[in-house]
Amino acid sequence: MMKPMIIALAGMLLSALNLFAQQDKIDVFPAVPYDRFIVYQNLIIFWIGIIGLIVIIKMKLREIERTQKMGIDKDEKDIPILD
Amino acid sequence: MNCPRLKSWFSERYDFEEMKSLAKQKLVPIHKYEIWYYTGGIVLFLFIIQFITGMVLSFYYIPYFEQAHKSIIDIVTKLNMGWFFRSLHHWGAQIAIVVLFIHVWSTLLLKAYRKPREFLWFSGFILLGISIFFGLSGYLLLWDERAFAAVRVATGGAGNLPVVGEFIKSFLRGGIDVTGDTLTRFYAFHVSVLPLVTLALIGLHVLLVQYHGMSVPLSVKKEERKEIPFFPNLFYKDLVIWLVVLGIIVSLATLLPPEIGKKADPLAPAPENIKPEWYFLFLFQTLKLFPGEILGLNGETIAILLISAGIFFFFLIPFFDRKSQRGEKSTLFTWIGVIYFLYFVVMTVFGFIS
Repeated sequence: MMKPMIIALAGMLLSALNLFAQQDKIDVFPAVPYDRFIVYQNLIIFWIGIIGLIVIIKMKLREIERTQKMGIDKDEKDIPILD
Repeated sequence: MNCPRLKSWFSERYDFEEMKSLAKQKLVPIHKYEIWYYTGGIVLFLFIIQFITGMVLSFYYIPYFEQAHKSIIDIVTKLNMGWFFRSLHHWGAQIAIVVLFIHVWSTLLLKAYRKPREFLWFSGFILLGISIFFGLSGYLLLWDERAFAAVRVATGGAGNLPVVGEFIKSFLRGGIDVTGDTLTRFYAFHVSVLPLVTLALIGLHVLLVQYHGMSVPLSVKKEERKEIPFFPNLFYKDLVIWLVVLGIIVSLATLLPPEIGKKADPLAPAPENIKPEWYFLFLFQTLKLFPGEILGLNGETIAILLISAGIFFFFLIPFFDRKSQRGEKSTLFTWIGVIYFLYFVVMTVFGFIS
């Protein structure tokens, strides 16, 4: 009687060990340090790209506003065609 | 790049010059409250991001309750950049709802709903409701225990509405309880029904904005405002803001990717301290304020009725605000807007900390 009970108890304890091996959290971000480094590096490059584009758009907008203020942004309708 | 033959091929068929001059003719008023005009453009931009990232995710997502959760884990862990697209979709949705709320409240406080823009308000308000339902339906697609419990609570709450409640609940769930059928149903809502309705409503909303032009607050006097062309001036400013928003979303998606919980088990009890998504917290907290029974009636039903009445009043504000209709200053409705805003913020904060 004792032997099967001890075997059953040992079996239960062994299967309970699996609970400790269970993964708690699912990796939602690259786990390898090198991959992480690449991701963060790309984020910085991305922001540099965004800032660069914003500077270009701002320069373009300033130029447009300057021409609008001078009143030379409108197309001339009666312009002679050269071809 | 200059392609004269291609240009002439198109210009023989379409009058580009006419289109260009039309775009240049559209003027936008400039005044001290103009910053709020950009919120609509930001929402549109975020919707585009959601459509693109959603399409990418739908290539790999399996809308079946036994595989849904695993398919998301596979997207995040096995696909190249899968984690990024999922995170971008998550943060895009969160920021879109934040900006939508700001857009609605700015419209309310600046009385931009007043005559003749009532339909603009209605279409925008329905779009807000649809966006929230987008959030709820997308949340269940995760098929984790928190999403499962949250959808059970949300659809159960709708079931407390008198007369139509049971019908709404069973229609949303596709049965008496949240099951695999609910997942299939919510997937259909999320990827086909809601996007189609959203596209139609955005089309109508943008068309009405073009038809009526931008609303100018009553407090801005005629001599105080100037007008600038939408294209290129305002369009370039929009581009700058969109780039900043894109940068913020990409940063959030990279630095704070959303977690994935344990797979939902319909037979398991709901996890402790379960909370819905942040935009439902004020409703959740309001429901907590009501006792189980008031004068022999179900307390939750009364709470749901009062909340529905509050939302319905908010929806019909353009008809109630007679002063704004006449072009007069309407302080009462400014205060009503402020009270709604404070209630939403306070209840959401309480929901977070409780």
